[in-house]
Amino acid sequence: MSTRTVYFIVAVAIFVLTLIAIAFYYYRRSQKSSQKNWERLLKRLTAVDRSSIAEVALDIIDESGQKRQDEASAALEPSQIWKLVGGLKGLEVIEANCAVLVDLAFYLQQWYPEAVVVAEQLRLSAREIEWQVGRLRSAQETGKLEGAFSMYAQPAVAAYYLMTRRVLALYEEGNLAMLADLRNAL
Amino acid sequence: MQLTGLDLLFWSAGLGAHLVLLSVLWIRRRYKVFPIFTAFIFSNVVRTVTLYLVRLLGTKASYFYTFWSFGIFDTVLQLAVVYEMYSLTFRPLGVWARDLRAAFIWLVTGSIAIAAGLTWLAAPHARLWMQVVIIKGTFFSSACMSELFVGMIVLAVKAGLPWKTHVARISHGLGVYSIIDVLIEAGHSYLGLQRDSQAYTTLSQARMTAYLLCLAYWIVMLWRNAPDSKKLPENMRGQLVRLQNMVDSDLEMIRARER
Repeated sequence: MSTRTVYFIVAVAIFVLTLIAIAFYYYRRSQKSSQKNWERLLKRLTAVDRSSIAEVALDIIDESGQKRQDEASAALEPSQIWKLVGGLKGLEVIEANCAVLVDLAFYLQQWYPEAVVVAEQLRLSAREIEWQVGRLRSAQETGKLEGAFSMYAQPAVAAYYLMTRRVLALYEEGNLAMLADLRNAL
Repeated sequence: MQLTGLDLLFWSAGLGAHLVLLSVLWIRRRYKVFPIFTAFIFSNVVRTVTLYLVRLLGTKASYFYTFWSFGIFDTVLQLAVVYEMYSLTFRPLGVWARDLRAAFIWLVTGSIAIAAGLTWLAAPHARLWMQVVIIKGTFFSSACMSELFVGMIVLAVKAGLPWKTHVARISHGLGVYSIIDVLIEAGHSYLGLQRDSQAYTTLSQARMTAYLLCLAYWIVMLWRNAPDSKKLPENMRGQLVRLQNMVDSDLEMIRARER
């Protein structure tokens, strides 16, 4: 058996095993996504500690979500924002919220095909915000966070604050029976 | 040309399974949703009948050319089926999901590059250069197919796009078969195409067995109906519309800050 043949056999074995492992891992993930329900998805949003995020967000926006124009706005320094957000861990919380919205869209498209338009728009929006946060994470990993942070972090955090607060408000004011437990948990 | 009992068994089983599957696609009206997949199954019926007749009445050379001509056509149709499955999954609103376009390019480029690398490593023993091309070409296409189906699972999960029930069943069947086919084609490449190669024939029969199992899976799964969807409550619909409006305004704010 030639050396090249040995390489070929080893490469094919690695290739097939890798494909099977990837397929199995993501298939399990898709099965888990299929088993999620509305209540469980929304409950995941409540697990977010948003107090620090709120402080960062309200530095540039008001309670209604409008951009603040007063002199006291945008007073936080990047280092303070970084500390309040909780660094990388805080950003991971934000990413987790995006994942919930993507899962929410998945759930809707799977079980309520008539809601496909809204679900797809929601999914795309969540993915775009996820991408924004991803840029911050990449900047953090490459040591260029300082420059990127002042530009992207606070608006992204503010957007997240508003989004999660509004999602929570939606189910608080909603009268769906399946959301009752979640409202109690709040 | 003499046909063995096993040859006849595989041919008749393949023809029968394809005809049953075509009937299922017709009776359940699945051909409307999966026209390319239906064409793929129909072409297999035509191929089976044609090859049988050519093998009985034609020469060895005519069988060879007919077999590989259909093989190329079959590969093209399989790629078209992949396109159909991707289209049904990643175009929920009739256009390709914009967040996945870059991922598609990476997936296709990466799949071709990896498959090409593996194919380059293969060094099949064959008497004719054409046989080498056929063995390598078949291996390349099976490697690409398996990557594209696994990539489809990954993209769907990462993007949060669910598979419709029958799309998932067709993709699972073709995906599993493609991975098995990679191993079989790797075996073919290792053994080469030599006269009276029993091992080569055995591997071909193993592939046919895997494909017959795949057909049986499709017949059962495509006969079954997908689970009923739920009726969206009116208040939930309202919530979603408001949620979408809010997310849109948040995004606008982010984009404005970036500019």
